[in-house]
Amino acid sequence: MARGLAHLSDEALVALVARADEEAFAELYDRFGRVAYGLALRVVRDPALAEDAVQEGFLAVWRSAARFVAERAKASTWILTLIHRRAVDLVRREQPRRAEPLELAPHPTGDDTEEEAWLRLRRTRVQEALRRLPDKQREALELAYFGGFTQSELADRLGEPLGTIKSRMFSGLASLREVLAQGELEEEGWREPRSTS
Amino acid sequence: MERAEIHELSAAYALDALDASELEAFEDHLARCAECRENAASFQAVASELAYEAEAPAPPQALRERILADARREQPKVVSLPRRRWAFPVAATAAVAAGCAAVGLAFWAADLSQQLDEQRDAAHLSEEAVAALAQADTRRIPLDGANGVLVVDDETGKGWLVVLGLEEAPSAKTYEAWVIEGDAAVPAGLFSGGGVSTVVELGAPVPEGAVVAVTVEEAGGVRQPTQQPVFISGEAA
Repeated sequence: MARGLAHLSDEALVALVARADEEAFAELYDRFGRVAYGLALRVVRDPALAEDAVQEGFLAVWRSAARFVAERAKASTWILTLIHRRAVDLVRREQPRRAEPLELAPHPTGDDTEEEAWLRLRRTRVQEALRRLPDKQREALELAYFGGFTQSELADRLGEPLGTIKSRMFSGLASLREVLAQGELEEEGWREPRSTS
Repeated sequence: MERAEIHELSAAYALDALDASELEAFEDHLARCAECRENAASFQAVASELAYEAEAPAPPQALRERILADARREQPKVVSLPRRRWAFPVAATAAVAAGCAAVGLAFWAADLSQQLDEQRDAAHLSEEAVAALAQADTRRIPLDGANGVLVVDDETGKGWLVVLGLEEAPSAKTYEAWVIEGDAAVPAGLFSGGGVSTVVELGAPVPEGAVVAVTVEEAGGVRQPTQQPVFISGEAA
């Protein structure tokens, strides 16, 4: 990057984007475009729809960057939340596509770029954390987050009372938060290489 | 939805597992419940970690080009507006070089919109006001005597005052806004100031050529201004 944007934190980039800085926006896309696309693809199960979700999500980033409040959330959370919401909106509109949306994709092989290695590490870390959750909690989290189901749809699908689904999602996220926090303590090495904080 | 039950929804919210009406109700609740805001933010951070569990093949290069082109196309409409059109007395009197002033304005505008965002959460700033502030076809008229702007929606004549760092009105007093056209002053709302930003939705339309003035009056307000204005807008030309 000509201006050395690579050394800025994600949050600093968002602040530049709030001032309509196109280079900063491109750098943000280069940081999060790939994980955003992977997330969208997992939710919508269709490459063209996934591209739509990513495009709309990043435009939302561009338009609302001035309203991002760094004290309240990490930029990565904010961006991925915007992408996820677009993906879920799209998949809910395209009902037929998600009849059976949950078979697992094959694990990637090979290790070419630094980015891929980094994403694989993060992926392993989340997978391991998920494995430590009770099955029912994990199922609720995955169906909601990747399946795009509403809590009521989940209750129907799983044949459980809505209250049960709510508390599974609640306990599931709480446990995941705890497991991930522990993992961070145990393995100080898990830090994003370009993190600047 | 029951009051007690709604607190549980922060997890479903973070997972985007609420339907449209549940989402609306919960966001309403979020505006009033700091505990749920905190919970939701924390859960969103965890939920977004889940994103990394998805396999992430490289997106097509054309997608990157499309997104950047979209942003470029939107730039003049959406973002440069505050730079060009917001003005405030501090910049006007600072006698700084034009370039510096532009940077200062952009910072201020970004800062203001952040503060507005917080204010909206904290104090139910109306969606209408936020929408109006974000719109291209509202006009922003600088205030004389305070750091802020008068925002006018040309189509409807609706007006808002947005003021930063306005001191709280003295005890037993209130700020009162007036829409002044010629010799006539129409009362347009009472407010107390204080806090980092004050947003006032004016209770009277702001016609062309009118100005908006604010005076300090006895608590409860008065029918006609009895004091000199503490600040006043330029003409809503």
